[in-house]
Amino acid sequence: MPDIISSDLLLILLPIMVIQLILMIVALVDWVKAEETNGPKWVWLVIILLLNIIGPVIYFIFGRRQK
Amino acid sequence: MQWTTLFKKELLENWRNKKWIWFPLVMILIAIMDPLTTYYMPLIIDAVGGMPEGTVFELPEFTPTDVIMMSLGQYSIIGVIVIALISMGTIAGERKSGVSELILVKPVSYKNYILSKWASLNVLVWFAACLGLFASWYYVNILFGELSFLALLQIIFFYGLWLTFVLSLSIFYNALLKSPGLILFATIATIVTMSIVTQIFSHVLSWSPNKLSSHIIEMLQTDQIGSALWGAAVITVALSIGLIISAIYIFRKKEMAA
Amino acid sequence: MALVTVSDLSRHFDGKPVVHQVSFELNEGKTIALIGPNGAGKTTTLRTMAGLLNPTSGSVKFSGMNAGEDIRPYIGYLPQYPAFYEWMSGLEFLVYSGQLAHLTKDEATKRALELLKKVGILDAKDRRIGKYSGGMKQRLGIAQAIIHQPKLLILDEPVSSLDPIGRREVLTLMDELKKDMTILFSTHILSDADEISDELLLLNKGEIVESGSLAELRNNYQTAKLELSIEGDLSTFQAAVSQLDCIEECYIEKDMLHVLAHDIDTARSQIIQMVASKNWSLTHFSVNRASLEDMFMKVVNS
Repeated sequence: MPDIISSDLLLILLPIMVIQLILMIVALVDWVKAEETNGPKWVWLVIILLLNIIGPVIYFIFGRRQK
Repeated sequence: MQWTTLFKKELLENWRNKKWIWFPLVMILIAIMDPLTTYYMPLIIDAVGGMPEGTVFELPEFTPTDVIMMSLGQYSIIGVIVIALISMGTIAGERKSGVSELILVKPVSYKNYILSKWASLNVLVWFAACLGLFASWYYVNILFGELSFLALLQIIFFYGLWLTFVLSLSIFYNALLKSPGLILFATIATIVTMSIVTQIFSHVLSWSPNKLSSHIIEMLQTDQIGSALWGAAVITVALSIGLIISAIYIFRKKEMAA
Repeated sequence: MALVTVSDLSRHFDGKPVVHQVSFELNEGKTIALIGPNGAGKTTTLRTMAGLLNPTSGSVKFSGMNAGEDIRPYIGYLPQYPAFYEWMSGLEFLVYSGQLAHLTKDEATKRALELLKKVGILDAKDRRIGKYSGGMKQRLGIAQAIIHQPKLLILDEPVSSLDPIGRREVLTLMDELKKDMTILFSTHILSDADEISDELLLLNKGEIVESGSLAELRNNYQTAKLELSIEGDLSTFQAAVSQLDCIEECYIEKDMLHVLAHDIDTARSQIIQMVASKNWSLTHFSVNRASLEDMFMKVVNS
């Protein structure tokens, strides 16, 4: 039984995980290209990598140096 | 055409700063979160250790309408905040950085400037909301039962008007204020105030934009578009247009360098 | 002919006049320097002329224009600290600026490439503006200001933030642009004004304290000094010269007669006539003009 549960859970999580993955990759690509960010650059790497979903999003909103 | 130039620039900017990628993804995520977690709630509870022995836990039965309305419920909170966040600097940021001094000293029509911002954000928000609600609808159909495609289109249409209103409010504050943070606060504070006022005077404010969601539920339950929904929709559109006209008027009077 | 007439222009901030009843004319085809110490109101004057600030009172009129007509098509403006869309390339920004000024995309692209070449950043046309240096941004700023061939180019401190090399490049560029348009630029660096301007406007504490061509101003403000020497006795010479009524002061120092006069031209011709009539043989004659700096200090302090 536990096996079925976990594979079912995986199915729920799959779309969410795929989106999280895309967000993270796009954020990382942007982070690598960015010359400077608002605040220390390495902090944003930690945020992008460690905070699921929210991390890349707050990087896009607050981390990118605008104009 | 100057308007097209301005509009294309906005689309390009939102493409280059990746809003066209992350914002739709976030809107999909917000929309599918509730349908998925609701359906798999028993599994999730088991996976995190289960209920204590002997507890009788009856999950309520959810109809497709209930579940898609959960998605709208999330949009009304997180979605609105994210929309306010992506739009808070669209004009104010340009004024703050000073680039608007170069742009608006050219013979740019203030109407075109404001409308291009508003239109480009609307395209982005509607695109993302369509994707998100479509994803939610897909899961609802698989997991909870049938909801017609027509119903989905109706939901997108009427709920989209609410999102357009949120954007119009943000653009209005953008024309008025110079600080993006303040604009975010003002936009959200206005929406919260409107929602409280609508709740208190619920019986007379049946056409309030904040009532769109509850009228959409009625539409799904009765299978027809009631007059209250049309009323709220018309009021929402009228308020949005009013906000944009005021924004243009205020902006025209504004000194770009002050 | 006056291209722009500024009359009684005032601009207050929080009730305090930053620019006070300023009137002047800009003659077509001239390069005019607006000079004054920091805080004199130069930037406010320029921004008001560009339409970025509304005057508290007074007006800015272009010749041949109706009241209420949009003046922006005729103006090119570069602020002191220009900001760009840093995510655009230099070429994209110029094309965008041109299109906003109602050029077609093709016209704007053609003109943008010409200007990039002219200002010397054609190599960087596809680079993001965010990666440009300060001097490159300043040159891009000038290019965007003239993309629509304005009649009046307004530059706010165009060279003061640049290093000596960048400064030289921008000054040379301005010198080239002089023949195509009227230029009004502000500066607190007097030698720059001296170098490329035809006319000067001196602004101090929000008011125009002096204006005119460089030559006129020099004439008005110099207590210029003549240095003379003759063969023979200098003291007889001194006695004779001091009789002239246009002379303020005259003294002998290091075998040289130093003569101070307000009206340098009269003094010079009278002295030369006297020298000729008395048949003295002149061994040295020089006129020391007052520098712009001296004049500036004198005007600001008076």
